[in-house]
Amino acid sequence: MTTSSNNNRTIEKYLQGEMSPSEKFLFEAQLLINPGLRMEVRAQKKAYTLVRMYHRKKLKEELESVHQQIFSDPEKTIYQQHVYQLFKQEGI
Amino acid sequence: MKIMETLIEQKTKKKQGMQVREIYERAFPRVAAFVSRTGGSFDDAKDIFHDALVVYYEVTAQDSSRIRGPEEAYLLGIVKHLWGRKHQRSRMMIPMSEFEREISVPDDVTPTVEDKRLLRILESVGRKCMDLLRAFYYQQRPVKELTVTLGYTNEHAASAQKYKCLEKVRNTIKQKSMNYDDFIQ
Repeated sequence: MTTSSNNNRTIEKYLQGEMSPSEKFLFEAQLLINPGLRMEVRAQKKAYTLVRMYHRKKLKEELESVHQQIFSDPEKTIYQQHVYQLFKQEGI
Repeated sequence: MKIMETLIEQKTKKKQGMQVREIYERAFPRVAAFVSRTGGSFDDAKDIFHDALVVYYEVTAQDSSRIRGPEEAYLLGIVKHLWGRKHQRSRMMIPMSEFEREISVPDDVTPTVEDKRLLRILESVGRKCMDLLRAFYYQQRPVKELTVTLGYTNEHAASAQKYKCLEKVRNTIKQKSMNYDDFIQ
């Protein structure tokens, strides 16, 4: 029986579809009788989701700095004006 | 050898950085024009464009053959999908070309309120672990390289740390989850 401190390798294998058919069969049998294990699987799935959210958030921080670079570049004033102009149509 | 590898890596990194800026500069005006036409602000355009770029990089990382046509057109297509979702309630109709309709966009681009809350907790109690897990799962760095950059003595130690972090994150989720029923039975 896997204990909670080392079962995350096993759960990772399961969630990433890396188990052999027989391993998978055994693991799913354990899931049926072990609510604690079901809970661990759900929590681990959530952990991957949150790592993905974190990764996206970090990427967006990098994009924000690219944005700042472009919109503060003195050689890009025509470009900047062109984009700003798109949002200044109402008064006309 | 080592130095060469590092140099090449720095070069590709720099190149990637340039590529991001190039794509950004080329695609943003079209996205801004679209968002402006449909009543959005400059900041709306920027936010939705960043979401679209994130989706774009995820797709290219998985399978770049899914990207057809010029990058700008593909990005604008993602933007239209995301913008449409955002304005679902107002039933705004967004005309899409056949090419744009066929683009598939993951439905978890906007995190739920609960996920945002959990992420804030994880960032405050386990940022190091989140960085490590991100590097393992998303930055496609080989374990060998991570071992060096994160200062572990060997690959085994780095890999062990990954599972320790996974355990830590999992436990935090169990403790802090509001959807109690999901985790406690």
